[in-house]
Parts: sequence; structure tokens; C-alpha cells
Amino acid sequence: MEAKGIKKNTAIWIIAVLVLFVLSIILGIIMRLNQGGAVHLDPGTFYADMTIHGITMIGIWFVAGMAGVNFIMERYVKTSYRANTFALVMTVIGVVMLWVSTLIGDFHAGWTFLYPLPFKIAWSAWATPMFLWALAVLGVGWLVWVLSLMTALLKKYSISQVFAWQHFRNKNPEVETPPFILISMISLLGVLACLIAAVVLLVLLFAEYYSHGAFVNDALLIKNLTYFFGHTIANEMLYLGLAIIYELFPEISGRPKWKTTWYVAIAWNLTLFFVLLAFFHHLYMDFVQPEGLQIVGQLASYLASLPSAGVTVFSVIVAVYRTKIKWSLSNLLFFIGIAGWVIGGVGAVIDATISNNFLLHNTLWVPAHFHSYNAMGNVLFSLGFFHWFSVEYSKRKGPERLSSLKLSFLLLGGIGFLAAFYVAGAESVPRRYSSYPVEFTSAKLLATLGAVFATVYLIAIFLFVSSIFKRCINMVLHRS
Amino acid sequence: MQYALLLLFLVLAAVIALVFIIVYLSSKKSDDELKGMANPLQKRFWFLLILFVCLGIFALITIPRSPYYLFAKEQPAKVVHVAAGQFFFTMSYKAINPDKPEGEMTIELPANQLVEFRVTSLDVNHGFAIYSPSKQIVAQTQAMPGYVNLLRWKFEEPGTYTVHCLEYCGMAHQVMQTTFTVK
Repeated sequence: MEAKGIKKNTAIWIIAVLVLFVLSIILGIIMRLNQGGAVHLDPGTFYADMTIHGITMIGIWFVAGMAGVNFIMERYVKTSYRANTFALVMTVIGVVMLWVSTLIGDFHAGWTFLYPLPFKIAWSAWATPMFLWALAVLGVGWLVWVLSLMTALLKKYSISQVFAWQHFRNKNPEVETPPFILISMISLLGVLACLIAAVVLLVLLFAEYYSHGAFVNDALLIKNLTYFFGHTIANEMLYLGLAIIYELFPEISGRPKWKTTWYVAIAWNLTLFFVLLAFFHHLYMDFVQPEGLQIVGQLASYLASLPSAGVTVFSVIVAVYRTKIKWSLSNLLFFIGIAGWVIGGVGAVIDATISNNFLLHNTLWVPAHFHSYNAMGNVLFSLGFFHWFSVEYSKRKGPERLSSLKLSFLLLGGIGFLAAFYVAGAESVPRRYSSYPVEFTSAKLLATLGAVFATVYLIAIFLFVSSIFKRCINMVLHRS
Repeated sequence: MQYALLLLFLVLAAVIALVFIIVYLSSKKSDDELKGMANPLQKRFWFLLILFVCLGIFALITIPRSPYYLFAKEQPAKVVHVAAGQFFFTMSYKAINPDKPEGEMTIELPANQLVEFRVTSLDVNHGFAIYSPSKQIVAQTQAMPGYVNLLRWKFEEPGTYTVHCLEYCGMAHQVMQTTFTVK
């Protein structure tokens, strides 16, 4: 019953993610059209659109990774259906509150809600507490879910086993930790850390809000907490996707299961450490931040890429090179997603270099690189899982049609949309501008081109989503 | 400099894309079920060492160029106080009273001499990004309430420089700007 419940919940998670994904892409295209001058939103509406676009995208791809990891984890340990359902209910409530606070309440402090902007109210007065309470609702739901999955793992594996420490010293240990379990645990622990930071952040913000200014926060401390939470959750959601790839890529490809080696165990253990320190790169331009932390930020940003990207990318490449593989839409999406992720990673490493950040910080280079490893990386990891799941467990089987067309549209739209961002970033065009001052001569044209290519990307997503959507609806409505 | 970074990115992205395409095609051509590694998660020391050395060199070259160390041992020829607020910049040669922020009508700065900007905010976080006459960012820092960021720079090119806010600060963020002249 519980396993069936998890399966049905996974289908519901997928449906919810896909609906919100399409809506959020449309909001993104409207923003680029507005920047290009093709549509005219008032700035408040634009920034409310920007706020909900950002926070929805982060939220849905995080829960997509969690839902996928939860589903696959059932192969190894028994997970809690109740916790999964609780997280689902809390996510629905939280998302509705977020959309109401932004689209009706006009809250537009950005998805980073950088203190003290949420308290300089330029929108309905109720929208600020509703936005913050929405985050609290999401935080509680996700915290319970994360803790329940970690508990489920720790019931079967000891702490040293779940982190694969026995692989450090022994080539063939008695108990082998599957890579999926190792990476899931590392990611869940990272998520737990950033959710705890979010709790501290919300408590401090509520303290100021409800004390009516008797308690005042420190802007630098809150900025550190905000990015510890925001950067880390965005990173960990990628790792959740990677856990699924380590499990499913060989399986779908008709290859032997991948096994943890001492080398992989050390690499992923180090990742946990480095990822938690990389967020300092968001504060490079705050010169009052201690210099030591700025240097730690650059080194941690570099080193975080070594174990996760280095090991994963080289492993996937050698797994595929001159190897007969059963290619399907799912493992093709995984493969292209890895390429998108590593290319976005190059853009990120360039920006995480302090002397470059001095020129690129808060230009369109920033959305360029994070859209690279999300729209052409993490999203494809999850779409690959969604496709595999919907085909594997649905009664509506049949050959996948138009695969080449879908992938061509995805690549054309994705690359064009990202190129417009990168070029604008190199031209010093600021991010988060509802419209551009006249001196940014190329910005409007690039925004319009970005919107056109994003529409091609949206068409590809429509084509992907429609068949996955139908199969998942079928799974939810019929007992299978 | 920004275009050099774009070129570096494009070259690396093209190399990565090419590697993935070649690897994919090699798999499509392969017809032997037995080829390929049983467990690709084997140690790959050389790959990682090369990556580590490349990043190490990149860090060694770039960290000393971080803005915190620029002109650190020199005395500034000119000091400019900057107070940012929704949605304006006040700039003055004298310290600014936060309760009554008043600045100069025009700011003129000497070319090729060290200028220090002392940047703070009167309300929310703002950015203080200096654009050259050819509209490229030459230097920037953040304006944060309760803190003063010191930004040092030598302007080589005379002309009108524009300052744009680069940290989202509310509804009129996109029009928050000011100018100064370098002679």
C-alpha cells in the first residue's frame, strides 16, 4: 500500500511540477518581452512576475529532485508515505500562498527577498507576512520530508555506511553503499543544513516584523543567511538529480550497475563540505565581509566542482565512450543535461572568480550561467526521470514519437535563449531591470531574441510534457 | 575584459560540446556488447589532477587581482562619499548626514589618480556599478545599510561615467542612476 502510495504521490508531484514549470516559463518569456519593449507591464507587476518566476522555479525543481529520490529510495529502504504526503500538502499550500502574495498582493521583493526590502512595503501590507509565512509552510513540509528520508536511510545503514566511509580503506567492503544512497544522503544533509539556516532567517525576519521595529536585524548577517539558504538549496537540487542519474543511467542504458569506489566516496564526502562554503561568492561585492571568507568563497566554489562535476562528468563520458548503449529519450536527456550542467558550471566558475565578479556581478551573466545548468541541466535530469517513470509504470505504453523533433527544439531554443543572456552579460547589461535605459543599446534586441528562443524551448517542453502528463494523470486516476 | 571572458567561455563550452558529441557518436557506432567498462566509477586520478592544477593556476593568478587588494598601499587623491537610497545616489566630497543627505550637483574626478568611494545605503541594499563612457562596467561595490564599502579605482579614460544600481531595490530600480565626470 505504502509503495503504491509513493508511486501515486510521485505522479502527483510530477503533474504539479510540470504545470508550474510551464506557467513559470510563460512568466519568464513575458519578462523578456517586456525588457525587449514588445509588451508593457508596469514595473511593480514586472517585479512581482520576476519574484514568483524565481521562487517557483527553485521550489519545483527542488521537489522534483526530492520526489525522484524518494521514489528510487524505495528500492533500498522503506520510506514514509505520510511524510511524502505531508510535504505534498504543505507544498501546495505554500505555493498558493506565494502566488497570492505576489500576483494579488503585488509583493515584489525578489525571490531572494533581501533584507530589509520586504519591510519597505510598496505593495499590499498583508503580502509581506503572507510571503514569509508561505516560506515557513514550505520549510516545515520539506524539513519533515528530508528528516524522514534521512531516518529511513539510517534505519538500514549505519552513519559510516551511509556516507560510504568503509570504502575509504577497503576496496571490497562487506557492506557496499550504492552510489545512489551515498549521494542522496550527502544531498539530504546539505538540504537539512540550508533549511535550518532558513528557519533562523525567518525567525529573525519575523522578530523584526512583529516587534514593529523594536528589534532590528543586521543587513550583512541576513545577507549571509539568505545566500547560505538560497545558494545551497539551488546546488543541492542538482545533486538530488545526480543521485537519480547514478542509479538510472546504467540501468536504462542496459549496462551493469555502477558501484561506489573509495574514490567516489571521498569525492562526494568532500562535496558536502565545499558546497556549504561556496555561497560566500554571492557576497564578493560586499567589501566589508572579512577578506578571508571571500577567498574561502572562491576556493570552495572551485573545489566544489572537482568532486561532483569532475567525477560525474568523467564517469558518464567513460561509461558512454565506444560502449553499446540502449539509447532512449530518458538517458539522452540525462546525457545532454550533464553537458548543459558542466557548461553552466564553466560560466559559474568564471563568475565565482572574485576579479571577474567585479565586472560581472548582477549583470545578465548571472542568469546566463544558472539558467544553463538549470534549464539545460537539472530540468533535463528531472525530465529524464519523469519520462522513465511515466513509461515504466503507466499502462499507456507505446513508442515515443517525435523524439528528434523534441530534442532539436529543446537544444535550439535553450542555446539561443542562453546565448542572449551571455552576450548581454558581457555587454554589462544589468539583471533584474524591468526595462533598459537607452544607453544599453543592444539590451532590447537581445531580450527579444531571448524571448523568441525561450518560446521555442517552451514548445519543446510542451511536446515533452504532454505525453508525460497524460501518463501520470492516468496513473493518478486509475489504480495501477 | 568582459569580451575576453565571453570568448574564454565560448571556447570551453564548444570543446565540452564537441567531446560530448564525439562520445555520443562513438557509442552509436559501437556494436560490441562486451565493450565498455563494467564500472565507470573507477579512479580517474589524472583527469582530476589536471582539473585541480588548472583551477589552482587560475586561482593563483586571479586572487591577487581581487578588488580588496587594489591600490591598498596608496593614498587616495580624492575621496567621494556615496549614500544610496530608493531610488537615488547622493555623492559628496564631504561626509553625508544620513538624516539630511545632501550632495554636490556635479562630481569631477581626476584621471589616472586614485579615487576612493565610501559607499553606504540609507535604506535597502543597492549596487554601485561604475560604467565607462563606452558603457562597460569598470568597477563596482554594494551599498548596504549600516556598512560602508570602500572602493578604490584609477580612471584612465576621461569622459562621463554613469553609475547604475545593480542590486534589485524595488519598483524604480531600473532608473536609479547618476553620473560623474573624469578629466
